[in-house]
Amino acid sequence: MTKVLTRHFDEPKLHELETYRRLGGYKGLEKALSMPRKDVIEEVKKSNLRGLGGAGFPTGGKWETVPPEEKSPGPRYVVVNCDESEPGCFKDRVLVTRAPHQVIEGALIVAHAIDAHDAFIFVRGEYQDQHDIFAKAIAEAEAAGFLKHCSMKLMRGAGAYISGLDTALLETMEGKKAWPRQPPPFPTVFGLMGRPTVVNNVETVSMLPHIMVNGGEWFAKLGVPKSGGTVVFSISGHIEKPGVYEFPMGVKLREVLAAAGGIKGGKKLKCVIPGGTSMPPLLEKDLDIAMDFDSVRAAGTFLGAGGMIVLDETVDAVEVAHNIERFLTHESCGQCTPCREGSAWTERILERVLEGKGTAEDLPNLTRVGENITGKVICALGETVGVVTRAYMTKFPEDFKKRVPNNG
Amino acid sequence: MNSTPLVGSPFTPAQEAVLKKWTTFYPHKEMGLVEALRSVQEWDRHIRPEAAAYVAELFDLPFNRVWGVATFFPSFTTKPTGKHRIGLCHGLSCWLAGSPLMAKRLQETLGVAEREVTKDGRFSWEEMECLGACEQGPALLVNDRLQGAATPEKIAKLKDLE
Amino acid sequence: MGKIVKYKLNGREVEAEEGRLVIDAAKDVGVEIAHYCYHPGLGNPGNCRMCVVEVAGVPKPLPSCRMPVKEGLDVRTDTEMVKRAQAGVLELHLVNHPLDCPVCDQAGECGLQDYYMKIGQYQSQVREDKEHKGKRIEAGPHVMLDQERCILCTRCTRFVDNVTKTHELGIFSRGHDGKLGLAPGKVLDNAYSGNVVDICPVGALTDRDFRYKVRVWYLDHTDSVCPGCARGCNISVHTNTRRPWHNDGKRVARLKPRFSEVNGHWMCDDGRYGFASLDADRLGKVLRLHPERVELPWADMAEELAGRLEGASVVASGMLSNEDWAAFKALFVDTLKIRDLYFSAEPDQIGVEDKLLRRSEKVPNLKGAEALGLRSGSFDQLAKDIEGGKVSCLYIIERDLSKVWGEARAKALLAKVPCVILQGPNKGVLGDLVHYRLPATAYVEEEGCFTNFEGKVQPYKKALEPIGSSRPDWEIFQLLGKAVGAARVKKGVAA
Repeated sequence: MTKVLTRHFDEPKLHELETYRRLGGYKGLEKALSMPRKDVIEEVKKSNLRGLGGAGFPTGGKWETVPPEEKSPGPRYVVVNCDESEPGCFKDRVLVTRAPHQVIEGALIVAHAIDAHDAFIFVRGEYQDQHDIFAKAIAEAEAAGFLKHCSMKLMRGAGAYISGLDTALLETMEGKKAWPRQPPPFPTVFGLMGRPTVVNNVETVSMLPHIMVNGGEWFAKLGVPKSGGTVVFSISGHIEKPGVYEFPMGVKLREVLAAAGGIKGGKKLKCVIPGGTSMPPLLEKDLDIAMDFDSVRAAGTFLGAGGMIVLDETVDAVEVAHNIERFLTHESCGQCTPCREGSAWTERILERVLEGKGTAEDLPNLTRVGENITGKVICALGETVGVVTRAYMTKFPEDFKKRVPNNG
Repeated sequence: MNSTPLVGSPFTPAQEAVLKKWTTFYPHKEMGLVEALRSVQEWDRHIRPEAAAYVAELFDLPFNRVWGVATFFPSFTTKPTGKHRIGLCHGLSCWLAGSPLMAKRLQETLGVAEREVTKDGRFSWEEMECLGACEQGPALLVNDRLQGAATPEKIAKLKDLE
Repeated sequence: MGKIVKYKLNGREVEAEEGRLVIDAAKDVGVEIAHYCYHPGLGNPGNCRMCVVEVAGVPKPLPSCRMPVKEGLDVRTDTEMVKRAQAGVLELHLVNHPLDCPVCDQAGECGLQDYYMKIGQYQSQVREDKEHKGKRIEAGPHVMLDQERCILCTRCTRFVDNVTKTHELGIFSRGHDGKLGLAPGKVLDNAYSGNVVDICPVGALTDRDFRYKVRVWYLDHTDSVCPGCARGCNISVHTNTRRPWHNDGKRVARLKPRFSEVNGHWMCDDGRYGFASLDADRLGKVLRLHPERVELPWADMAEELAGRLEGASVVASGMLSNEDWAAFKALFVDTLKIRDLYFSAEPDQIGVEDKLLRRSEKVPNLKGAEALGLRSGSFDQLAKDIEGGKVSCLYIIERDLSKVWGEARAKALLAKVPCVILQGPNKGVLGDLVHYRLPATAYVEEEGCFTNFEGKVQPYKKALEPIGSSRPDWEIFQLLGKAVGAARVKKGVAA
């Protein structure tokens, strides 16, 4: 099976420039720089690469919306999103730790494609070690002359899951609270400091050198129609061998779990959260689903950033729902009322239910509150607030029902 | 009209130089704000209003904007943390890995409740949201560096930190 | 005017300027869309989520304050989806909102109450304790803050950041811990602080001056113009005559700005809170004070004064309306041929000017005098003339000379004048030292026009009945004019 990003992960010094180059590093950038910008974009479009930070938006398609110089004279910016904070996801941390140059090279390819001369890598504040690794690698890249046409600077975040959302990330980078914007205009038209900006995830940009070297068609063929290439899953929870696992798009969920050693202690599976806790869970019967953006969507959930959490039969769905809503309540930016009030209310109801003080009205009320929130919020975090509890109530109704007194 | 007059700088000359650097590090002044506040949090273990007011003036930003940022992000606190700010993740995977038990351990070992500072000012601990180390749960963070899974032994060793 | 396009609103084809926000375009044709955070003077953050509408082909409702009109747009405000969405969003606004209505001044003009009655009317499902935040916080000299009632719409923070640029307020902390508050060390004391009370859709920011005075549903509203300076901000005078035992017995309860080109959506605090003199120290009786205090009918007073006005020195101010100035000129200039007129704004009527609304001339209508070619003499010269015994009659209209010359000096000077007539709505510190007192209506008790500093003529309407025997200044001048004419006929002098 072809691995793209983790192919050389058995090489301990992969993070050093010398090793990285020896293994083919920076050849992708070389190729890209020899091509006209629009050809680079075409190649990435052909590859069917989609955003691997959670949104799954076609990467080449996104780059195409950056207006030409005549329409928007002035600087363009590249921002690499290393604010990984979705519970269940840690693949960016691993990719940065093991192969920082892969990220740097990819970011420089984006810069060339959109004619940007300033790139920023936004690293979540809690990844101080990763920040230092990047700093060292950037210094190496600069010394080797790779930053002649595009500067690269690091910026550390200060926590807050919401700052991982592209428009909220830009607000943070501008020295403001991480309150998401409401496009249009989209960041590629009006982004960092009002300039056209491409925000791409660590994993997404890491794919670019390989697409340049081997061609977009090659990358597309690795995956399935409409979801090209591979994806790096983070697996944790009740699994024998938690860690990162790279698979081609479209791999069966069952296969991924098997590669990670299967359920810990051979217990029965309760559910698998496919893309980070924001995404509704999949059940035993769903294990043959293909793990690509569209297939997972068709199954009623999202591939997201591929953060898989495995839960065995000992886990109670009410506690899971509460854990996730508590996270969302803490992380809600507070800008819009339905998310701000709805998340806190949902959490408090679930808390009361967990304490044994639930009433029969609480369950239909939770559903109703979720419906009131869904579709009325500014960003995806709010949508998650409205969807998550209902997903667990639908899939595990007994867990909820047994905690509230019977009707009548 | 600023109702609180700035009486002198709340920073040493060396610290002022660091903050000034952040005003020019990025293409636009205000882009350096979060990094500047990170420096302040590092030195003072919290963000005082006077410190925020000084930063606001340095960055040519209104004070309410800087205070908004200072109170929005979890890395910044308005009450001091310990010299060693310890975080224990209670996200889903880490919860499954036993974070509640480790939280109790932290409380017992350090002798303080969540967000309280030990008498010698060395330690404070708090439960945090996903730290991106789900495969090493329950994840432990000390001053923004991941320490792998929290265990009773690792927690006991924290007391060796100066 | 931009390109006009056709779009559909509730099934009806309508025209609007391309790019106009749907919430505004709908209002243009009489369709009101519920909203909190949107304000035409403060922008459209789209955070309250109340103004959602259904767009054909889109599965979820979208905020109309963030939706520009474009050709072919098909928008509905009347569908089940919209009704459910708005009711659901409203419920979430109310989850932690304290049930303060019985003690909240906003009751009767509250966005939450109003929409609840229109689209809510549901049984609350909250079984938890509500979140508690600060209450009764004195945000500034004029504004009281209640953090629990706040719906975090950001109208007020946008006002202090973008309009006054004084940055006192902010929303601090994240998520449901977020609170509207003063930035540490700040006080909401800018010159326009009262406007945040107008724009707050709920009772989070309320007027300290108006606190607990009278319920808003007892108030009548009258269109008027602020007399506080030469800007002439359009205002609405809110009066209470239905419950005279409320509001400490005062008739005028509060002043609010009305939108106009002159003042936009705002007014300054000096104008907003400067109405105490309308219900305090008022003159209502037509009086001769020397040798004894005797009340006279207007006709008798006019006849008595007619003989004494020849050669008088006249003091007035820019408080007079255009109608007042016309009658003033007819009486004093045309009929009495008096040249000693003193009405310029002295340091008593000069104050702070700013880039927003305040003008340094703290009277509304010196332009009215200017338009009639009237020129003011110098108050210094008048004082000298009084010292020199050259003034036999001093007629003071709507001016407090103690503020021009200082109280001690003014009293000393008045003592030197054989006949002093005071005309105006208030007695003032000099009112007991004059020989004649003529009660005049204040601007809220008459109709008239002020001409602002840009030359714009603005009408104000009558909000209250005159007090006692008081009459508009122009009516008094006309009465005197007739009396002077009659006296001259009697004397055989040309009228």
